[in-house]
Amino acid sequence: MLFNKRTERLFIWIFFPLALMMPLFLEQNTFYVSKLTTVMIFSLFVMSLDYLVGRCGLITLGHAMFYGLGGYIFVMIAPEYEAVNFWLYTLYICSIAAAIALLIGLLVLRTSGIYMIMITLAFAQMAFYYFSDSIEFGGNDGVFIYVKPETSLFGLSLFDLDNPIHFYYLCLLSLFNTMAFFKIIMRSRFGRVMDAIHENPDRTVALGYNVFFFKLISYTIASALGAYAGYLFTLQYGFVNPSMLSWTTSGTALVMSILGGMGSIYGAILGTLVYEGLHYSLEHLTEHWLLFMGALIILMVMVFKDGIAGYLEKLLEKRS
Amino acid sequence: MTTTLFIVQLINGLQYGLLLFLIASGLTLVFGVMGILNLAHGSMFMIGAYLAWYFVEHTGSFGVSAVVSAIIALLLGILIERTLIRHLYRRNHLDQVLLTIGMIFVFNALQSILWGNDPLGVAVPELLSSSIPLTDILEYPVYRIFVAIFCVFIAIVMYYTINKTRLGMLIRAGESNREMVECLGIDISRLYTVVFAIGVMLAAVAGVIAAPMTSIVPGMGEHILIACFVVVVIGGMGSIKGAFIGALLVGLVDTFASVLVPQLSSMMIYILMAFILLLKPQGLFSS
Repeated sequence: MLFNKRTERLFIWIFFPLALMMPLFLEQNTFYVSKLTTVMIFSLFVMSLDYLVGRCGLITLGHAMFYGLGGYIFVMIAPEYEAVNFWLYTLYICSIAAAIALLIGLLVLRTSGIYMIMITLAFAQMAFYYFSDSIEFGGNDGVFIYVKPETSLFGLSLFDLDNPIHFYYLCLLSLFNTMAFFKIIMRSRFGRVMDAIHENPDRTVALGYNVFFFKLISYTIASALGAYAGYLFTLQYGFVNPSMLSWTTSGTALVMSILGGMGSIYGAILGTLVYEGLHYSLEHLTEHWLLFMGALIILMVMVFKDGIAGYLEKLLEKRS
Repeated sequence: MTTTLFIVQLINGLQYGLLLFLIASGLTLVFGVMGILNLAHGSMFMIGAYLAWYFVEHTGSFGVSAVVSAIIALLLGILIERTLIRHLYRRNHLDQVLLTIGMIFVFNALQSILWGNDPLGVAVPELLSSSIPLTDILEYPVYRIFVAIFCVFIAIVMYYTINKTRLGMLIRAGESNREMVECLGIDISRLYTVVFAIGVMLAAVAGVIAAPMTSIVPGMGEHILIACFVVVVIGGMGSIKGAFIGALLVGLVDTFASVLVPQLSSMMIYILMAFILLLKPQGLFSS
């Protein structure tokens, strides 16, 4: 079975039916629909980071670079006043992002641990300054997208991207597929080797595996999916700007991933939901929500380090 | 570029590099001795600048303000180490990153609660407010030269402390083998408190002396933190000598890039870092 844990199956059976029905309850309130859509998109991004950090042990503080690149690549390659094909451009953007990740990975993965944290951060900052200084891409204001892509596939157009409800379902579908995709990778031979590398890289080398190659492939896959999330975000709001690549985006994603339960994949959705929920309600209570958020993160590291998924699993899984 | 302009840029670069060294040395010292990556190190720089502004407003004297700010930073460092950092020594880097991100959030919020979000400025102290004329139209502010000299002074004090004093000996011993130091009957946890507090104080002092040269704005800590990362990655994590060389390199490259290749100026130090990493993945002076 693809989803092998009880907690995981329970989560899927509760979350996805609820998420499917949600627009029925919120029909009049597009604000909440689009808020939830953003949460889905960010969950997808956090999930790709969760795979990288939690499953592969490759701690990066520069993942937001690919989130931003997803949007900027679209702006670079798509014609300004013409609707392009969504699926085709998804393919283009993921491939270009993967190529960039491959190049950067060659450099970044030569290092590990604390060095990798700082170098990924530095690369993300490099991209951040490149886009925020460039006149061509509108500097700090970013770029607007005038025409949204159409989604015909084999002559069948399923989604109208200008309709928030349609867009919501597209993001939900993407999220589910990404989750299933990561689970398939994790249960494949490739994923098993990756687990071994996470556990003990030296022994995996001794077993005759090219550890660097496996890391590089994982880094590339996660980065391409991070870019896909950024592409969706750009389409939802119709603009791209440098704050998408800022290090706080990477940091927040990391916090969400830990909050959800590092390495559990489905925890990424839980973490993002809870974090955004808290953020939203604190923001309404006080303008100094950052103080409480910070205190919460500190508390989480101190006493709640297995995250929500870890806690649920402790409650629900049979002890073996 | 004329010779005068070249010299001005050279001094600017060295002065910026030396200031970076002051901050980066604390970061690398704390990492080298305690194995802690403190992302909130930049926040300490910010706090230093805001404290400097606050006490200049209330006492009117920059000197008094600098001393009081440094002492507050030292106490703050002790408090943070005793309550939070202490629990992280045996945890992985990820937990350290998260905890210190949380600290950044808290410090940014405190800054906005205590001092608001408008840019603030500190006047250059009167004693140092004159300028040295270079040509008929160009002159160089004395304060910047004072900053450079002050940073060199601190660098020498650090070199002496680490290589010639008992505290320095303990720091070096703590770097190479924690258990052994404990076995010799030395209270390593007290040493860690001292080292962390010194690191915080160095960053805050850098913030204090930088205050008259820049506008004090929210987010100034994060900006300088990233530059310090580049410095320690280039120099080699944990090496004070590396931080010194790396800081000067970054200072010079950053300053000259903004004159020679303005389009690439804010990217240049990262390109430098990527280049050095290609040649030496562990930095120039890694142990």
